[in-house]
Amino acid sequence: MIAFEKITLSNGLRVIVHVDRSTPFVAVNVCYHVGAKNESPNRTGFAHLFEHLTFGGTKHIRDFDTPTQNVGGSNNAFTTNDITNYYITVPANNIETALWLESDRMVGPKFTKKGLDVQRNVVIEEFRQRNLNRPYGDTWHLLRDLAYKVHPYRWPTIGLTPQHIEEATMEEVKEFFFHHYAPNNAVLVISGNIDADKAFQLAEKWFSDIPQREIKSHLIVQEPLQTVDRELTVNRAVPIDCFYVAWHMGSRLDPDYYAADLLSDILSGGNSSRIEEKLVKGEKLFTEADIFLSGENDPGLFIATGKLNEGIDYNLGREKIIAEAMKTTETLVSAKELEKVKNKIEAEQVFNEIGYLEKAMQLASFEILGDVDLINTQLDHYRAVTADQIRLVAEKILRPGNKNTLNYLSLTK
Amino acid sequence: MNLNRNTPPQIYSVDGVEYIEPKCHKLSNGVELFTMKSGDQEVVKLDFMFKAGSWYAKSRLDSMMAALMLQEGTESLNASQIANTFDFYGAQFSSNSSYDNNYVTLVALNKYLPELLPLVSDILTNASFPESEFEILRQKRKQKALVDAERVGLVAQRGFLRNLFGEGHPYAPVASPASYDTLLLSDVKQHYKNFYRSDNMSIIASGFIDSTVIELIAANFSLSWGKNDSAITNDSYRLPKAKKSITIEKEGANQNAIAIGKLFPKQDHPDFPGLKLLCTILGGYFGSRLMTNIREEKGYTYGIQASPISFQQEGVLLIFAEVKMDKTSEAIKEVFYEMDRLTKELITEQELIPIQNYLLGRILEDFDGPFARAQTFASLREVELDFDYYTKLIETFKTTTPQQIKALAKKYLKADSMITVVAGTK
Repeated sequence: MIAFEKITLSNGLRVIVHVDRSTPFVAVNVCYHVGAKNESPNRTGFAHLFEHLTFGGTKHIRDFDTPTQNVGGSNNAFTTNDITNYYITVPANNIETALWLESDRMVGPKFTKKGLDVQRNVVIEEFRQRNLNRPYGDTWHLLRDLAYKVHPYRWPTIGLTPQHIEEATMEEVKEFFFHHYAPNNAVLVISGNIDADKAFQLAEKWFSDIPQREIKSHLIVQEPLQTVDRELTVNRAVPIDCFYVAWHMGSRLDPDYYAADLLSDILSGGNSSRIEEKLVKGEKLFTEADIFLSGENDPGLFIATGKLNEGIDYNLGREKIIAEAMKTTETLVSAKELEKVKNKIEAEQVFNEIGYLEKAMQLASFEILGDVDLINTQLDHYRAVTADQIRLVAEKILRPGNKNTLNYLSLTK
Repeated sequence: MNLNRNTPPQIYSVDGVEYIEPKCHKLSNGVELFTMKSGDQEVVKLDFMFKAGSWYAKSRLDSMMAALMLQEGTESLNASQIANTFDFYGAQFSSNSSYDNNYVTLVALNKYLPELLPLVSDILTNASFPESEFEILRQKRKQKALVDAERVGLVAQRGFLRNLFGEGHPYAPVASPASYDTLLLSDVKQHYKNFYRSDNMSIIASGFIDSTVIELIAANFSLSWGKNDSAITNDSYRLPKAKKSITIEKEGANQNAIAIGKLFPKQDHPDFPGLKLLCTILGGYFGSRLMTNIREEKGYTYGIQASPISFQQEGVLLIFAEVKMDKTSEAIKEVFYEMDRLTKELITEQELIPIQNYLLGRILEDFDGPFARAQTFASLREVELDFDYYTKLIETFKTTTPQQIKALAKKYLKADSMITVVAGTK
């Protein structure tokens, strides 16, 4: 159970406070409801580029990092398809420095040509390092593009191509900021060793004078129902053949989400899962195999992947893992299996309640999702799932016509 | 409210860290059990520490595989039964080998310890090393090695360590995926028999520790077992003369990886705290000189770090980055430029003070929460240091002068003492 309090400032900023006396630190976590899914298809990678830019100094603060270090703190950020999340952790008595910094980021970054030029280069190097210079690094580009035809989940946060980042102009950068970065489009979470009243008072002090801004409407085209299976085969300079098979599933707030998550755990969560026992160790088809959810806010993907063992027929391996998943559409999972995956979720939840920063991030993302109470109630949702519901959700997800197969084959073989 | 955003809020400096010495209990077999109670969640983490890393092994892979094979079967349980028990109770079990020590770790809810501890005890004392599971693991690791061999970053770092220590040295990463083909199960099992013994083990328990937990540990781990038949000793290992510069060709690379560095004092050396400060200035935090110059000003890389790495027997300085292909020699030149600058110019107070404060904050993090404290304690034990090390570290961070930093740079960052490894395409 994670106890928290929440208020909304007059400018629309939601503030959540969680007190944790076991740490000498506090976290100031600001989550903006903007991610790669808010980008235009010819300016992809923008939300992430923007995240980089905001560390180059803000309106009143020339250098963002030195003041953080000066108080013994550290800061970082990440961008997903749904959100952009910034955080600073500082020894508790230095909380005002963190609030000063994060609130000035919301007031506005310092837009300079030099800053933009440099971060463009850095992000392009990140693109190279993570996606072009690494075996299997373009998997998500290929898979997303195959599975989504209209929804902006069809590109990863790094963007479709480095070219979009190369071409970004200052005007576009400014427009992006003023349409997405605003108190009325963000959540501030303060967690750690601080009185709740004090935290709210300081949040008010540092954030309440930032004006509301007009948020560019979040109308995102939803993906139409897929009715015909798709398949893409690529040949790359990688040592081992592998495949990704993705089916569309519901959104994070869909009541089916919990059953789908448990289904993926039954199939491949842990060494005692069906895929691991039967296919990896039993039939020795793969050296690695996994079934997992893409875990996004809008309708996401249910994904099966495997790296084929030496000498195993590629198609046979891939079809076996699909067949193993399909069994759950016909036969109910056993009570013991269901109990096992629920216990695992429960334990993970308790393990996650240990870090003050992790709790801040979770509170922020649940609030952005639209239901912060889920942080404490989701376990009940998991506990309530029945074997019947798992079979039904399997049937729904694994239906004919809903499948996207990426064959990622080795050139060198 | 009239808010002045131009002036930073008042700064409170980090004065020190609250040390909580772990309690040491001796089990009846002589095993030391260290406990650190803290936190409200009823979760316990148990680390079983064995001096069984590659330093002690006949080959590096023997110690790695021995660690990984533990949960693959015991005299009475097969791998599936073991996996099912851990999963059913939502426990996280891992067994990892490192250069010096191997750690077997269990993270679990207190309420399931009565079911889980007998299993962990069985695994430690009766691991059976089944042939079939060994073959599966061999294949898995070999494939992973094949993929890793395609990553220029790893290729450069491993090439760097091999160059420094020499092929076959316990700290030198294995050269090829094919090494897995010649691995013998009997050697791996022998490594387990020699080094996983009660008189070579200590236990660190952290989290929600109460008398029940301590009694459960005592009930399950007080057995004496194992004996060392090995005469292996790597103590007399002679380091080779490393090559100044190596290029490892990697066709089709999109970036080149560079690894620059040398043998360096290790953690117990009196200069180490000062060198930690020096390396932080050079490349140990986001605003470091290397990051500012090579990432923020020139945009040659996504990230570059300089770190002092300390093993039990040796220390290493490693400067590492993946860089733009056509800017490789420029990037290397800038690394040497920044090292040289440290030997010639005094650092300003303006640059130094935030770094000192930053490092003090990181120390505070090393003691933040039950698991961090246990981790810190374990890593100190690994190199046979105690909490005094942190007292020295804090003292050094607070009092080192710009002159002393320059003197350290002159002593340790000489350009002609460095080796350079580049992996990628010319």
